[in-house]
Amino acid sequence: MLLSLESGTRSMHTYWVRLNAVFFYGLNVLLGLAVMTWLSCLQQDLGFGDYPQPVIHKIKMNDLLSLRSHGGVDRALLSFDLAADLRPAFHWNLKQLFVFVLAEYESESNKLNQVILWDKIVETEEDAQMATDNAYIKYALVDQGNELRNTTVNLYVVWDHMPVTGRLFMNRGKGSPFELPPSYR
Amino acid sequence: MLEIVETQIRELKKLWRNKRLLLHQALNLAMIVFSALMIWKGLMFITKSESPVVVVLSGSMEPAFQRGDILFLNNQDNPIRVGEVVVFKIKDRDIPIVHRVMKVHEKADGKVELLTKGDNNRVDDRGLYAPGQLWLEREDILGRAVGTLRYVGMVTIILNDYPALKYVLVSIMGLFVLTNKEES
Repeated sequence: MLLSLESGTRSMHTYWVRLNAVFFYGLNVLLGLAVMTWLSCLQQDLGFGDYPQPVIHKIKMNDLLSLRSHGGVDRALLSFDLAADLRPAFHWNLKQLFVFVLAEYESESNKLNQVILWDKIVETEEDAQMATDNAYIKYALVDQGNELRNTTVNLYVVWDHMPVTGRLFMNRGKGSPFELPPSYR
Repeated sequence: MLEIVETQIRELKKLWRNKRLLLHQALNLAMIVFSALMIWKGLMFITKSESPVVVVLSGSMEPAFQRGDILFLNNQDNPIRVGEVVVFKIKDRDIPIVHRVMKVHEKADGKVELLTKGDNNRVDDRGLYAPGQLWLEREDILGRAVGTLRYVGMVTIILNDYPALKYVLVSIMGLFVLTNKEES
C-alpha cells in the first residue's frame, strides 16, 4: 500500500498487477464453484444413501405394424407402451434428461445392433413422469442388412443425464424382449 | 493509457540493460507457455484424444449444449455405445461436429459402424457426411463427451471472430509477464 503511493509510475504498475490478480483469482473461484456444484449432486447421481431412484414401470412392444424389406434392408414399424417415473433424477444441476427407447438385438452379421426408436428431451421435473400406451415410434427399426426376421429384440428405456456443469452419464432400465415374425408382413 | 505505454517502455529499457534480469524474465515467460503446453499434451495422453477439450459452435444440440459451452472428451478404447454424445470429423471438413449416436452396428471383430443425429435437427447426419458415406467408423470419432462447462468457450469464439484481438491479447500478456517485478 505504501509502495503504491511512492510515485505515479509505481501506482500505475500496481494498478495493473491488481487487476490481473483479481481476474485470475476470479477465474479460480469460478472453477472451484463449478467443481463444488458437481460435488453437491454426486451422492444423488451415484445413488448412495436413501435417495429415491428413477423407476421404469413398463416398457413393452405393443403392436408390430409391419416388417418389410425396404430398399434392400429390413424395416420394422411398431408401437410400444411406456410408463416411467424419472423425477428422482432431477436436481438443481440437471439441465435436461435425454430419454430414449432403445432396440438392441444380435444378428448374424453383427454381434450388437443398437437402434434408437423414440426419444424425448425432458427439461422439467413434471415432464419426467411419463405414461403412454400404444405410442408410435419416431425412427423405424432398420437393420443394416436383411436379418430382422426371426430375431429377438430387447427394448430398453435409457436416460442420459445432461448437467449444467459436470459429468455426462447414462442409466438404463430392465430390458423387455419380443420376437419378430419369421416372414415379412 | 499513454502513461502505461511509457511505463512499459521504460521497464523494457531497464530490462535490456540488466541482462541477468532479462534472462530471468524470459525464462519466466517460457515457463508459463510450456506449462500450458504440458497440461494440454498431458490431457491428450490421458484421454487419447487429439483435442481433449472442444467448444460447441452450433446450436444443433440445443437445449443440451449451446454455442460457447465447452465439452471434455475422452477417446479411450472402450466401445462407443448408442446415446453417447460424440465429436467426429468428416473428410474434407475442417470443423468437427458434436452430435448424438443414434445407431450402433458392431461386428464380432469389434468393427463398428455408427449413425449420428443432432438433438435439435429433424433428420440424421447422412447429409453432413462425405458424399456416399453412410456410416461413421471408430477412426472418425475424436472422443465422447464426458463433462461440460458453460460459457467458458465464448472466449474462444470471440477470439476466433476477431483474430486481431488474439495477437493483441497475447502480446500484452507477454509484455506484462516480462516487465512484471517479483516481490522480494
